[in-house]
Amino acid sequence: MEITVLVFLTSGLFLGWSLGANDAANVFGTAVASRMVQFTTAAIICTLFLILGAVISGAGAAHGLGALGKLNALPGAFMAAFSAALTVYWMTKAGLPVSTTQAIVGAIIGWNIFSGSITDTAALTKILATWVACPILGAIFGALIYKLVMVTLSRSRIHLLRLDVYTRLGLILAGAFGSYSLGANNIGNVMGVFVSSSPFSDFSVGDLFTFTSIQQLFLLGAIAIGIGVFTYSKRVMMTVGDGILPLTPVGAWVVVISHSIVLFLFSSIELEHFLASNGLPTIPLIPVSSSQAVVGAVIGIGLLKGAKGIKWRALGNIASGWISTPIIASIVCFVMLFFLQNVFNQVVYHEVRYVISEPVLVYLEKAGAEVNQLKAIQGQVISGGTHFRDAIRGAQPDLTQELEQKIFDAAELYPMSLSKDKFVKIDKEFLSPEQIEQLHALSGRTFDHTWQLYDALSNKSKEWKKLEKNKLNKPFNKHLDEQLTYVYELFHQAESVDSGR
Amino acid sequence: MNLKVENLALFGKTKNIERMIDDLMDCISNGAEIFQTGINAYLDGIEDDRCDDLVHQIRDLEVEGNRLRREIEGHLYTDMLIPDSRGDVLSLLEDINFLLGLAEDIFLAITVERPAIDDMFKEDFKLLAAAAVKAVESAVLASRAFFRNITAVRDHLGKVSFHEEEADQIAVRLKRKIFASDLDLEKKLHKRYFVDKFDRLADEAEDVGDWLAIYTIKRSL
Repeated sequence: MEITVLVFLTSGLFLGWSLGANDAANVFGTAVASRMVQFTTAAIICTLFLILGAVISGAGAAHGLGALGKLNALPGAFMAAFSAALTVYWMTKAGLPVSTTQAIVGAIIGWNIFSGSITDTAALTKILATWVACPILGAIFGALIYKLVMVTLSRSRIHLLRLDVYTRLGLILAGAFGSYSLGANNIGNVMGVFVSSSPFSDFSVGDLFTFTSIQQLFLLGAIAIGIGVFTYSKRVMMTVGDGILPLTPVGAWVVVISHSIVLFLFSSIELEHFLASNGLPTIPLIPVSSSQAVVGAVIGIGLLKGAKGIKWRALGNIASGWISTPIIASIVCFVMLFFLQNVFNQVVYHEVRYVISEPVLVYLEKAGAEVNQLKAIQGQVISGGTHFRDAIRGAQPDLTQELEQKIFDAAELYPMSLSKDKFVKIDKEFLSPEQIEQLHALSGRTFDHTWQLYDALSNKSKEWKKLEKNKLNKPFNKHLDEQLTYVYELFHQAESVDSGR
Repeated sequence: MNLKVENLALFGKTKNIERMIDDLMDCISNGAEIFQTGINAYLDGIEDDRCDDLVHQIRDLEVEGNRLRREIEGHLYTDMLIPDSRGDVLSLLEDINFLLGLAEDIFLAITVERPAIDDMFKEDFKLLAAAAVKAVESAVLASRAFFRNITAVRDHLGKVSFHEEEADQIAVRLKRKIFASDLDLEKKLHKRYFVDKFDRLADEAEDVGDWLAIYTIKRSL
């Protein structure tokens, strides 16, 4: 294993540390600030459960994990992770709860700009929507649940001390569950990009269980998150739990529960599938973020109490932290990539190439797209997303955004060769026997575009065919997408002249 | 293995403190009742032994009340329970327990100083003691409600104020009567001293109520 991989791994660990220092506040901030749970107790529970979440649930879905996986060169991914970590660290130092995912998306945008790739506008609108929708939903749920809990409590006549025990227990349980999902959902961002170059190897303890290299890698990442929780998370906890509005213990619990409910209702594909399959109306899925939902829930309770206790200045600081996080991350990433490439001579991105070839035109026409004018640039291999965009816009000026995206997907060159030596690496647990059989049937063939391999596979087997796009089929299609991405990457044939140096 | 919720350490400890708080309230309530019985016994001229016995009883209750209060305080601090209302609860327990100490002081002073209460004042003294005791008992009920049924605190606090007001009126009336009488000045002053002491018991109960009203607002915020 190369020493550089170890060096690059440190940025993942730094990102893990920052994540722990910042995001632990979402699950335990109110509990610690309301003095219901001691900081040390909270840190121990949080660390323990996020390690469990990362190793058990995180590693279970290790394929296609993490937004950083989109970055096609390890040094580039290292710098994006480092920039995101640095930004989150600054925000944590200022005691502001921010979204680590948004810092990562910001860093990726910096990488996109540097590498001349196109930034998906959906990623930007997603962030904007999260800033607005998430706190509003958090506030609505926070206020409603608080009211409900207070009415229930006044009727149930629970002794003050008994209520104290229940609340404490509730805070610890909610915190433990929150920590578990924090570990499971975020380990991909922290360590996902290093999965393919994991320095560890599998080992078994008798016949009891096997500790895979991915689990070991994720354990390392989770420990970094845990150290972040222990060493630096208290400040953000105090901002969340006390800085905006001093919360009562019951209020503290309501905040944690409201934020969990908002995350569950508005981001769970499983719930949507369950509702749709039972003929029930579904809840629209929207981008949500823990930090924004927690702050929203605190505001909701504050507004319910007449808004007198809310410290608007603190809230203003938090909001400005949200806005500046992706911006700072993208600027830092851009500048650092420049240094990494030009001072340290590292390949920070592989140029993506596009071609409008005959098969691409046929494929697009089959899909019902009007692309006659694109014939003007037929056969040209164009490097870089922005150059390609300029070229197709020049050839056919009336492109809609949707069609442009279709052309991008169809024209991207991603050479794959289903050579025999790569079949041994197939994860037999991730793909079904029939899927693997169909891959074998294509053995020896090469493909220039991912859609070509998809067409070949989907013509052979239903297990490789995406279902009609609807809410009911979403989980299946999402999983199939992950499997396809895994197959594309597995058989990808790196080209010789494609460096971004 | 017995896994009843009450037997789990976490709940067991809480239940124990809940019981101690209830016991403390019982002490104060019983103490107030003994105070009234004792005052009536003294005014009715019942033999000294009975009064001494009642003094002992109220003193024992006061000792027990102090022990319970200290133990509850210790638990609340060492186990770090109810962090947001711990201070309020401790003040409440101190204040309400003070009422028991005050009742004991007054009754002891009566049995030691043995003021001569003429028949014409006896009924008013009894009424005054009864009003003060009712104020104390209402304060105890309000305190119990603070722990279990916060919405009922207001009702009990209303009664505390009512009985305190009643005690004030009786005290003024009684003092007017005393000073309008032909008694010697030192006797008048001695009686007035005890009227004020009885009235103070009601006043202190009202103070407890006033603070309790604030703690209640804080809890329902």
